[in-house]
Amino acid sequence: MIRQISSKVGGLKNLIFIGALLVLAIVLLLDIYLVDQILEPLEYFYLFFAIIAIFYGIYPLYANRRLTKYYWERIKRHRLSVFGLAFIVFLIAVALIGPLLTQDPTKVNFQEKSLPPVGFTIQQSVYDLKAEEFVTRETPGTWQHPLGTDDKGRDMLAMLVSGARVSLQVGLLATLIAILIGTIMGVVSAYFGGWVDMALMRFTDVMMTFPFFLLLVFIIFIFGPSLVFIILAIGLTGWTGTARLVRSDALSLRTREFIMASKSLGASDTRIVFRHLIPNVISSVIVIATLSIPGVILAEAALSFIGLGDPTVTSWGVVLNAGQRSLDTAWWVAVEPGIMLFLTVLAFNFLGDGIRDAFDPRSQL
Amino acid sequence: MSNNILEVKNLKTYFFTGRGVVKAVDDISFSLKKGENLCLVGESGCGKTATALSILRLVDSPPGRIVSGEILYHGEDLLPSSSARLRQIRGNRIAMIFQDPQSSLNPVFTVGNQIAEQIKLHLGLKHKKTIERTLHLMEQVGIPRARERMKDYPHQFSGGMRQRVMIAAALSCDPEILIADEPTTALDTTIKAQILDIFRDLKQKRNMSILFITHDLGTVAGIADRIVVMYGGRMAEAGTALDIFDHPQHPYTQGLISCLPDISTRRDRLTPIPGMIPSLINPPEGCIFNPRCERRIPICSREKPPEIVISGEHLVACHLYSQSASPEDRIESSKNAKR
Repeated sequence: MIRQISSKVGGLKNLIFIGALLVLAIVLLLDIYLVDQILEPLEYFYLFFAIIAIFYGIYPLYANRRLTKYYWERIKRHRLSVFGLAFIVFLIAVALIGPLLTQDPTKVNFQEKSLPPVGFTIQQSVYDLKAEEFVTRETPGTWQHPLGTDDKGRDMLAMLVSGARVSLQVGLLATLIAILIGTIMGVVSAYFGGWVDMALMRFTDVMMTFPFFLLLVFIIFIFGPSLVFIILAIGLTGWTGTARLVRSDALSLRTREFIMASKSLGASDTRIVFRHLIPNVISSVIVIATLSIPGVILAEAALSFIGLGDPTVTSWGVVLNAGQRSLDTAWWVAVEPGIMLFLTVLAFNFLGDGIRDAFDPRSQL
Repeated sequence: MSNNILEVKNLKTYFFTGRGVVKAVDDISFSLKKGENLCLVGESGCGKTATALSILRLVDSPPGRIVSGEILYHGEDLLPSSSARLRQIRGNRIAMIFQDPQSSLNPVFTVGNQIAEQIKLHLGLKHKKTIERTLHLMEQVGIPRARERMKDYPHQFSGGMRQRVMIAAALSCDPEILIADEPTTALDTTIKAQILDIFRDLKQKRNMSILFITHDLGTVAGIADRIVVMYGGRMAEAGTALDIFDHPQHPYTQGLISCLPDISTRRDRLTPIPGMIPSLINPPEGCIFNPRCERRIPICSREKPPEIVISGEHLVACHLYSQSASPEDRIESSKNAKR
């Protein structure tokens, strides 16, 4: 039985993949209709992302070590992209285990407000309880708050760690949604051509002209500001560029003889799209994805900065916003998340460039 | 009659382009017997590939369309068949090999994977059996160290080896008919001979019917049982290999044969056929070959030539052999020939 089904979907690997997605969907349905809150909404995204990453990222890399080594050699020659990759790995590690080690990023403590990072000392006027008046005092940074605190006494390190988690969540998940939609749209459009192509591409044009920001404000107005909806909104509007690029890639593939050859050997349209077209555009999709993650991270930061973000999470944008109010007294509150954003965006861009060069067979590295 | 496993009757495949209708295949009929090697010969652009693609209904539509005709596979007309039925036949009963082994393999999968794909798709074998069969096929078409090579990607193979992989993929389900569209054109001469040997083998050992498409009469000589010469989307001449090589009747066939280099007779120059292949959008009136024909007679530019039986299976579409040509026409033709 299992063998029959698995040969139908193209091997045991695909069966497990589809099975895992089905289990996830069933748990999600149970969650919605029967029991409350088996998992947080965002955790469904993680699991979805993890399943896809394992089956389409880690497993193929593991199964084909020769090719993995080849790509690694090529990426390695792009020095900056190795730094980028290292920083991203570091960031992922921080986002995963950091919150367990740091303090509560939302804990307010006015006794320790506006402490500078370690190694800095500032003049600060503090209310002296004994003298019952404001006195100006030297305030040095302490090791208890290595990156200082903000004007409400919240630990900067804890906030930055929490922000890293939010940024990666938004960046990876929204991009994943966007490239999934974009890739399928582009490939289907290119392969079937004719009125299918016409309809899908005009739809893409309409989506492109749609003011994303307005949509977001609208969604937040209806559903309330929640990270899940922000991710969905960015993902569901951000696929248009991917769709166009993938379509142009797939158009040139479509006329290649191996498509005709597999048709002549009895392959169905679905099979050709999923087995022959998508694997052939995947290298450009990976590059598009890596290069679009920073944009998404910045979009989330911008939203949080202007106060449209999820108020229950501490993202870099929120911290930036807080820092902007106290820029004259506590510069580090704005500078630290700014540096993090800067480095993260830079890291993804470097990595994207490196991957692009590694995947391009014409580039002589 | 019953041993005709494939019959093409009055096939017309037209391409509707912006500049006009291209009559790529215009009223072609032929049949393929069990265990026979039929060769379709003609210059590039004469509709050979369009004929082959029409048989499997693979003509890109739009712009192409099979306008009329019948394609009978064991008496079943494939033209009205559903796409599901066609997928059963493609690869499984009728398989096809393409000209360019460079691009007819998917670059992102290993070759073993691609041969196995067909087996899984049509035969539904278990994984282990599939691998065994793949190995066996690769060995059959002469790929050395098949067990290691099946894990390689197409770019790690040479052109000849890639064509062998294509043949192995096409053979994976033991098809009754193999359509080979210029399978040796992109290959070196020595490799070409090896590939032709594989085809000869297939015919003998598996009793497979092969529809071999080529522009090169020289390639055909060693393997063909019967030959159909096409010109401008129409049949010029058809017959057994002996008929065509020893007694060519159509001026075009004669021209093609005199283009072949021959070691036994020393000639300084080959005789080319003058002129260019005609545009299939605005084909010449009457016989489509008439503007280039050395033995042209007045009727040639007026009427489409009928198919005339010379002997047995030997057919020719030429006014020179028809009763309708007047005696004056004949005289003029012989004059032209002397010139």
